Amino acid sequence: MTRLARIIWLLVLSSGLLAVGASAQVDITVTRTVIQRIPIAVVGLRPSGVSGGGDLVAQALSVLVDDLEFSTVFEVLPASFLPFDARQVRLGEEEKVLPSLNHLKVQAMVVAELTQQGKDLTLEGRVYNVSRGVFLGGKRYLGEVTAIRSMVHRLADEVVLRLTGERGVASTRIAYASAEKGATELYLMDYDGHNPTIATGNRSINLSPRFSPDAKLLAYTSYRDGNPDLYLLNLETGRRDKVSASPGLNIAPGWSPTGQWLALSLSKDGGTNLYLMRPTGGALRRLTNGHAISVSPSFSPNGRQIVFTSDRGGSPQIYMMDLEGANLERLTFEGEYNASARWSPRGDKIAFASNRGGGGFQIYLMNPNGTGVQQITTVGVNEDPAWSPDGRHLVFTSNRSGRKDIYVMHADGSGQKRLTRSGSKSFAPDWSP
Amino acid sequence: MVRGREAREQQWPGRRFWGPILIVGAALLLTGCPKKPEVGAGGPGAAGGPGAEKVTPAKPITEAPVEPGAKPTAEGPLKDVFFDFDKAVLRDDTKQALNENIQWLKANPAARTMVEGHCDERGTNEYNLGLGDRRAKAVRDYLAAGGVDAKRISMISYGEERPFVLGHDESAWKWNRRGHFVIQK
Repeated sequence: MTRLARIIWLLVLSSGLLAVGASAQVDITVTRTVIQRIPIAVVGLRPSGVSGGGDLVAQALSVLVDDLEFSTVFEVLPASFLPFDARQVRLGEEEKVLPSLNHLKVQAMVVAELTQQGKDLTLEGRVYNVSRGVFLGGKRYLGEVTAIRSMVHRLADEVVLRLTGERGVASTRIAYASAEKGATELYLMDYDGHNPTIATGNRSINLSPRFSPDAKLLAYTSYRDGNPDLYLLNLETGRRDKVSASPGLNIAPGWSPTGQWLALSLSKDGGTNLYLMRPTGGALRRLTNGHAISVSPSFSPNGRQIVFTSDRGGSPQIYMMDLEGANLERLTFEGEYNASARWSPRGDKIAFASNRGGGGFQIYLMNPNGTGVQQITTVGVNEDPAWSPDGRHLVFTSNRSGRKDIYVMHADGSGQKRLTRSGSKSFAPDWSP
Repeated sequence: MVRGREAREQQWPGRRFWGPILIVGAALLLTGCPKKPEVGAGGPGAAGGPGAEKVTPAKPITEAPVEPGAKPTAEGPLKDVFFDFDKAVLRDDTKQALNENIQWLKANPAARTMVEGHCDERGTNEYNLGLGDRRAKAVRDYLAAGGVDAKRISMISYGEERPFVLGHDESAWKWNRRGHFVIQK
């Protein structure tokens, strides 16, 4: 059985390799994205290194596999397909099994070992390029038992970095708003939905969390003092600063890629207009004029342009302008409501929500010039898209379960997964750098 | 990609159209059976037999949200006013209510009021904050044009964050697109 399974796996891999570019119709349990994924073997994590049974090891293995799979970079080979017992491979002896993996067309291998000393854990991982038989690098992580998920996330990001040269997203966090019992509070959670922790807790209305580019600050709007003012929360020290308190709205912040500017909307002069300010407060520069509503700014990765929502043409649509407020261009024309534009960190796409299909919002992608519109959600009503820092995934709000919850998906709309299950309405997610 | 949209389009007509069809159908039942006195005797307003219960459209169930900012519309001397979707234009019924509010404010020159602008749940949270602001300003401007000192009127927008009626259709939405008055002490 194992031998047969191994042969099937080999066939899947080789047919996939042959079919690169040609076939999007590989109708096995493998989807078309697998063709571009790197087949990787996860070995080691022997249960014997940890006292109190293999629960911690099993957890570490499951987190590592989930992280690598979600990255869309890797296809993790099931252990049963390997020609040896993957769990019994010791750290330091992994080079013995490399040649047998090469035979299976596996391109990469990660070997890991978890050991426990009282309340402390040591996780060591090493990454190999199987086809070239080369050790690419390794890391050792020390931490308490309670930090096991974070330690494994760090290792997963290291594997992605070693094999792609790009940082993974397994150690990132997601901020969101959650409404219950008359208050709307902001929360932070791991990128996979674990460890939700409250960030505000003032029993007021808190909205629109946005991570600064260095992930140290969270900008948001709070009604804690009555008026909707803009605050910065230092996520390392817990310090809170009110940075904009004009009469009326101080809402919907957007960070410039360097963190030097915050775009936000103020209603102090007639309409709800966009302004630029320094995050420390000050140097206020007005970008839009008149009585229209202009909100939800998102910078281009080069920092030269801003996309935003405005109803200056009669209905909410997506516009683009430069940092002087000039060269205004309307990007959406189909549907009576297009909003929540977010520029991909890779620069090639803008995600947004539109009701153009009827029946509420769905999430779409378009090119930065407004062409190439592509719908990527269909189930329930979906809105509030926000990109992962590597541009490979999106976090969003969906009501498909009967209540608004936070979901993630890959940028092509595949792999949609629910993250929040608190029982209260969760919305407005933002993904940390 | 189009599947979801089709599924929804099938759902909505179901919701929208069955009510009237039931009413018309039941009306046909009523008018079509004049020989049965027990059916016609009570008239459309009265509770009839099991068949007649379907005639009256069910009153939408509303819940009062347990939110500190959400006050019942009847509370206070100033009347709430209502808006159309994505609009801050003052309707005739809105102006009528505001005219009465102007009279009250003139009769009580020491009173100060806060106008809250609210929206229904459709649209984005951030855009709706702007829309609520626009509604509050429209109400404030009308009161000021009617002779109330603008300094006595403050404003705040809650967007869609403090609905008065919970629900996901027009029966709730029409109450949530609101200008709400709170007397300031």
